Amino acid sequence: MITLKNIEKVYQTKTIETVALHNVNLHIPKGEFVSIMGPSGCGKSTLLNIMGLLDEPTNGLVEIDGTPIGRYRDKELSQLRNQKIGFVFQSYHLINDLSVLDNVELPLLYRSGVSAAETRRLALTALEKVGLSARTKHYPSQLSGGQRQRVAIARALIGQPEIILADEPTGNLDSVMGEEIMNILLQLNSVDGTTIVMVTHDENMAHKTERLIRFFDGQQVSDAKTATHEFQKV
Amino acid sequence: MIRHLFKLIWNRKKSNFLLITEIFFCFLVLFAVLSLVVHNVRNYSKPLGFEHENVWLLTMRPASDSTELNRQNLEQVLQRTKAFQEVESVALTTSNAPFAFSQMNNNLAYGQKEIMANEYLVQDDFKEVMQVQVSQGRWFGRQDDASHHQPIVINRALQQQLFEGEDPLGKLIPRNDSLNYQVVGIVEHYRPSSEYTAEEPGFFVRIDLPKNENAFYGELLIRVKRGTGVAFEEKMVKELSGITKDWTLEVSTLEKMRQNKSKLAIVPLIALAVVCSFLIFNVALGLFGVLWYNISRRNGEIGLRRAMGASSGQIYRQFIGEVLVLATFSLLLGVAFAVQFPLLQVFEVESAVYFIALGMAVSIIYLLVMGCAFYPSRQAAAIHPAIALHEE
Repeated sequence: MITLKNIEKVYQTKTIETVALHNVNLHIPKGEFVSIMGPSGCGKSTLLNIMGLLDEPTNGLVEIDGTPIGRYRDKELSQLRNQKIGFVFQSYHLINDLSVLDNVELPLLYRSGVSAAETRRLALTALEKVGLSARTKHYPSQLSGGQRQRVAIARALIGQPEIILADEPTGNLDSVMGEEIMNILLQLNSVDGTTIVMVTHDENMAHKTERLIRFFDGQQVSDAKTATHEFQKV
Repeated sequence: MIRHLFKLIWNRKKSNFLLITEIFFCFLVLFAVLSLVVHNVRNYSKPLGFEHENVWLLTMRPASDSTELNRQNLEQVLQRTKAFQEVESVALTTSNAPFAFSQMNNNLAYGQKEIMANEYLVQDDFKEVMQVQVSQGRWFGRQDDASHHQPIVINRALQQQLFEGEDPLGKLIPRNDSLNYQVVGIVEHYRPSSEYTAEEPGFFVRIDLPKNENAFYGELLIRVKRGTGVAFEEKMVKELSGITKDWTLEVSTLEKMRQNKSKLAIVPLIALAVVCSFLIFNVALGLFGVLWYNISRRNGEIGLRRAMGASSGQIYRQFIGEVLVLATFSLLLGVAFAVQFPLLQVFEVESAVYFIALGMAVSIIYLLVMGCAFYPSRQAAAIHPAIALHEE
C-alpha cells in the first residue's frame, strides 16, 4: 500500500541544518493498522506528512500502491490525497463556521462527479458510522472533544479512502473518549479493511494496533508486530 | 463549491459585516459619480442642434433710457453689421443666447397638458446664423408677416412632451387672451445651455422688429467668414461705437462661451472623481489589509483543505471566490438601493444612464475586490500544506 525507501528529510535554514528523518525504509501493506511512537521531535509527524503526500522527502522514494509519486505535480498529488487518503488530526481541524454536516462533506467538494445529493447521503452515512447522526446541524463549538474527533473521523471516511493517517487522534482526549475513538478506528480497520497509520504517545493505544514502529532522532529504531509480540530489531 | 462559499460567507456574516458595509458604500459613491459621468458623456455625444463655430455674440447695453433713440441706434447697428464684408449673417436675440448664463421659460398649454419650456426670441436669420436644421415644417419668415398668430418653431423634446403622438404642425397654443402661437416647424435638437446639458423642451419665437416698434434686443449673433479674427473685431466695435456713442459693446465668440460653460460642468465632475478615486483607493487598501489578515489567520484551514485534496489552484480560486461572494452580498444591497433611481425617475434622468452606471459600478467593484484579493490569495495558495497544518 505505502512504501518508503531511503527516506531522508532535512530542514535547512541559513545557519542550521536539521535532519528530521534519516534513512527510513517502511512498507505498510493494505489493511494493516500501524502505530508509530517516539519522543516529541523525533520525526513522527514529518513521516506522516510524507506518507500523506503533504510534504516531500529531501531524498528517497515514496510509493503508493506500487506507483512512485516523486514526479507527481501538485494537482495529481491533491487528487491522490483526495481519493486514497483520509486524515485525522490531534486538534481535529474542523472549520468552526461550518456545521458538522458541512465539515464532513468537505473532501467531496474537491472530487469531481459527485452530486450534492450523493455528498449529503455519504456524509450522513459517515456520521452514522461514528454515532453522530443526531448532531448534523451542530457547530464544532457545540460539541465535546470526543464528538469533534468523531466528526473528523467521519470527514476522513466520507471519501472512502484506502488509508487513514491519524496524527495523535486521542492526544487531546481523556481516556474514556480516547478509548471510544480508538474503538472506531479499530472497527474501521477490521470491518472495512482500511489501512491505518497512527502516530501516538499512548503505549496502551499503540498496543491495540497490529504493528508498532518506534522512532528516535529521525531514525526507525524498532518495528514490531504487537498482536503476536514478535519483536524485530531494525 | 459556489454553494459552499455562500454558506461560508453567510455563516461568517458577523465578522464580514464591516467589509460588506465598506464595499456597499464604495458601490454607492461609485454609482453616484458614474451616473453623473454617464449622464454628461451621453449628453456630450448628442448633437447640439446648431453650429457655434465662427459665430460671435455682440452684447449691447445702452446708457440712455430713450426707447426711441435706442431703437434707432439698434437698427443702424444691425444695418452696419450686415454690411461688413467679413459678416455672413446676423440675427438679434435675447440674453439667453447659446452658451449664455441666462434662461427664459414660459408655460405652454395644449389640451389638458401644460409644460414649462425654454423660450428663445430670435430673428428670421437666426436659422442661417446658427445653421439650425428644420426637420419638419419650416422656419418662420416673411410669409408670417400677415399671420394672425405668432409663428413658433419647437424642438422635438417639446413636441414629444406636449403633443405626444400628435402632429403639432399648424396647431395653436394660447399665448394670452388675444394671441396664439402657431407651430410652423420642428427642429430635432436644440441644446443652447451646454454640451453637457440634457435636451429640454424649447421653442423659438419670431422677433418681428417692424411690429414691435419699441422693443429692444440687446444681443446680436453674428456669423463671420472663416478665418475672421481679432482685427475685424476691433474694427467692428470701433465703427459700431461710432453709431451707438456711449453704449457698452462687448464681443465674445460662442466657442469661448462654450468653453466657459464646459468648465462649469467638468470641474465639479473632476473634483468628485478625485474624491471618489481616493475613497476607492482607501477601500482597496482596507480590503487588501483585511484579506491579508484573514488569510494569514486561516493557515490551519488552508492546510486542512490541502490535506482533504484541494490543489493550490483550488485554494487560490476559493479565496478569490470568497471575496467575490462577499462583494455579491454588498452589491445585492447596493443594487436594490440604486435600482430605485431609474424606477422612481429620480432627478428626471434617463433610466438608461442609471442602468449603465449600475453595470459599470458593479463591474468596477468586482474588478477592485478581485484585484485586492489577487496577491493574498496567491500567497494562500503557495502555503505549504504541512506548514499550514502545523501552524494550527
